[in-house]
Amino acid sequence: MDELTSTFVTESRDMLAEMEAGLLRLEQAPDDGDNLNGIFRAAHTIKGGSGVIECHFIENFTHQVENLLDLLRNGRIPVTGELATLLLSCCDQLGALLDTLASGQAEPLAEVLSRGDELTAALRRCVPPDEATEEGGVPAERPPEVRSCGGGVVSTDGWHISVRFGENVLRGGMDPLSFLRYLGTLGEILSLETISDAIPPAEQMDPESCYLGFEIRLQTRASKAEIEHVFEFVRDDCSLRILPPRSKVQDYIQLINELPEDTMRLGEMLLRCGALTPAELDAGLAAQQPPALPAAEGEFDDAQALPAPPIGEVLVEQQVVHREVVEAAASRQAAVSEKKAIESRMVRVQADKLDQLIDLVGELVIAGASANLLAQKSGQVELVESTSVLSRLVENIRDAALQLRMVQIGETFNRFNRVVRDASRELGKDIALVVTGAETELDKSVVEKLGDPLMHLVRNAIDHGIEPAAVRLARGKSKKGRVGLNAYHDSGSIVIEVSDDGSGLSRERIRHKAIEKGLIDESMPLGDDELINLIFEAGFSTAEKVTNISGRGVGMDVVRRNIQALRGTITVSTRDGEGSTFTIRLPLTLAIIDGFLTSVDKSSYVIPLDSVVECIELGAERLDRNYLNLRGEVLPFVNLRELFEIDGEPPSRRSVVVVQYAGSKVGIVIDKLHGEFQTVIKPLGALFRHLRGIGGSTILGSGDVALILDVPALVDIASRRERSVCLTTSAVR
Amino acid sequence: MTQLTTSTRASVPTPAPASVHDAAQGAQQYLTFSLSGEMFAVGILHVKEIIEYGNLTEIPMMPAFIRGVINLRGAVVPVIDPTARFEGRRSEVGRRTCIVIVEVREGEFTHDIGIMVDAVSEVLEIPGSEIEPPPAFGAKIRTDFILGMGKVGGKFVIVLNIDRVLSVEEIGALANVANGADDGAYRTTA
Repeated sequence: MDELTSTFVTESRDMLAEMEAGLLRLEQAPDDGDNLNGIFRAAHTIKGGSGVIECHFIENFTHQVENLLDLLRNGRIPVTGELATLLLSCCDQLGALLDTLASGQAEPLAEVLSRGDELTAALRRCVPPDEATEEGGVPAERPPEVRSCGGGVVSTDGWHISVRFGENVLRGGMDPLSFLRYLGTLGEILSLETISDAIPPAEQMDPESCYLGFEIRLQTRASKAEIEHVFEFVRDDCSLRILPPRSKVQDYIQLINELPEDTMRLGEMLLRCGALTPAELDAGLAAQQPPALPAAEGEFDDAQALPAPPIGEVLVEQQVVHREVVEAAASRQAAVSEKKAIESRMVRVQADKLDQLIDLVGELVIAGASANLLAQKSGQVELVESTSVLSRLVENIRDAALQLRMVQIGETFNRFNRVVRDASRELGKDIALVVTGAETELDKSVVEKLGDPLMHLVRNAIDHGIEPAAVRLARGKSKKGRVGLNAYHDSGSIVIEVSDDGSGLSRERIRHKAIEKGLIDESMPLGDDELINLIFEAGFSTAEKVTNISGRGVGMDVVRRNIQALRGTITVSTRDGEGSTFTIRLPLTLAIIDGFLTSVDKSSYVIPLDSVVECIELGAERLDRNYLNLRGEVLPFVNLRELFEIDGEPPSRRSVVVVQYAGSKVGIVIDKLHGEFQTVIKPLGALFRHLRGIGGSTILGSGDVALILDVPALVDIASRRERSVCLTTSAVR
Repeated sequence: MTQLTTSTRASVPTPAPASVHDAAQGAQQYLTFSLSGEMFAVGILHVKEIIEYGNLTEIPMMPAFIRGVINLRGAVVPVIDPTARFEGRRSEVGRRTCIVIVEVREGEFTHDIGIMVDAVSEVLEIPGSEIEPPPAFGAKIRTDFILGMGKVGGKFVIVLNIDRVLSVEEIGALANVANGADDGAYRTTA
């Protein structure tokens, strides 16, 4: 895919998202003209862009959509729910077409095409019959060259010559007038405007200098070379621009911008000498809006309704008003350039370039750590000092680099407006989505992988959580259900909550189901939390009937696995009859974390620092039981040496790192503490993808590989082992 | 003795560029090495480099033939013990123990994996006519691991099908069995 196409695809996806958001708003507020215009503009930009890259299947389809939107915009047909649904499906179709383009296929798949035909037919049905003849099928009839360039063609015929004579023309013995006369011999000069703006005030004027310029309309059969030939003698000493007949408005605008005179005045000149009509100029100036797709708006204004056609007509009669038109155009241009400035402050960077940078920063951190280590070994105070300054800077660079990958979660959240709308419609429930904390930032790679789990959770909330309206009213709740998405930062991790005010999870039902599915034993005593969290087990679904929204019983364990793959956790809290809240806790980044370095025997282990609460020395407790007394609290611990089956005699002094996860505290027994350590996470690769308890690896300053502990998984493994040992021993007895 | 190891290390990377050249002409070169006294060979195009054994970090809760991981210039590379994979017993680390870094292709992915060998011997050119198909049995190694039996100086060298021996898919699954054993025990008893 070439660069232009990929830019088109990315921008069109943005536009599509905008369009979808607009359509969803449209349902709430059908009379919002600005919103409708926005939707139209988005569709139009996609169409224009697809024309530029000559992707006709997108262009043709978008054109149909645009026709309907135009009718909506003009108020000729009313906004209805069905129409919004239709337009939303058109958005989906456009997305599918963009996928086709992005994958490099020449033609969409047959099913996509047939869906497109259905939608086109549906769109046509929405257009009143009298409009259909006028609007339908335009793009097919339009000559291809117009389609591909997008810019409107100027209606006047003839060459346009714009010449500025240099100051020394007169001194060189040349007379501008003779050139104009000679030009006259080539054909007929339709009109001629003298540009005298360059003439300075009388007292500063040098009578021997030439300050003149001309804008000339010439009707001729001569070629461009012949016209150029006319000015050959002064070629080096004048600026000459020649536009052939039927040039694009775009070219005129470019001409205006290139010439030194003030845009407004020049525009006026062009108008006066008849090169452009006011409407063309207006349209042309407006066309400069999107820098990447310059032609799009031009076509829009040209082909569709002009923003102010009546004024345009008045202008022709009244010479005075000309200025106003051009001023209006100029002010529009000012607004445009402001927008450009904002856009230029944003830089679109390819994600893999960023990843490369982050990788390099990771290497830098490792190299820095190794330099630090050596400096400390050498014992030179100055060296230690300078490496510590260096490592502080590296830390800052690390944070800045990671910041680059941070994106707001709002975009992900907003996608769910559509999901909630569609799903609630399908189920006949009235549900509002409340989004908070949309500006919370997190790593882009995390955001990308978060979409699916969130989708499951939101769909579950809609399907199982929110009750039908009648039940809600009977329970004394408002008819409209509420699904909430919330995000916030909490000490080095990000928390995302999916909540609903529905019926909540029924503990009894979960219990029944779990026993039925053989997940737990009837006699098994289970805590409240333990019971509720059974819903994350594979093959668990409490919905009595299976709908196509959810209830296939794969949802929750997939959700948990996805979240765990991101080194996150998911928990649920629920109150019967009042709703439930799923809380996802994720690390801010997947690349570099602050870790706490420990070791057992010769192996080093990193514990994520944000989970560490404190470190204590392992006293003379009885070590055949894995718990100790932490200021009166029972603290169960995991003996890493035992769990990892590391040989060798434990040292006499050992430490316990107290870690916190999901609200409970656990100790990890290790041999030695080494302190804080900036940890660049290196995945262990496909070979170890089933390994649990180890979250990844990192490289120490010494060049050795250290393993990063996944505390919740470790605790899980340890408790399972213990349980199985207890069960077998009790069975033997 | 360190001299010996370093000389092995130094001598081996040199033939690599030549081998690429030769392979283009259709000849096949193999790196031979010994595993508990027996000679084995892998296609030279699989071999990326050979390094001294050391600085290995063990990974807990993994099958024995996964010796651990090493830091290869910033990349974490797993190291497999082929003796343990073939016969189920771990090989001892000797003076001349090396790690051969090989590139394994699986589907569209390539992985770098280290194999632990007792000693690297030499790069040999074995013509296709000198390679016998693997015996149906008797080698005491799974036949799909063997690409063929190369005849060198009247002796057989086992040419390994390294993509199969180091199949990430299979090893990953084996690791999962080892790892998930206690889960299973818990399930069945519960």
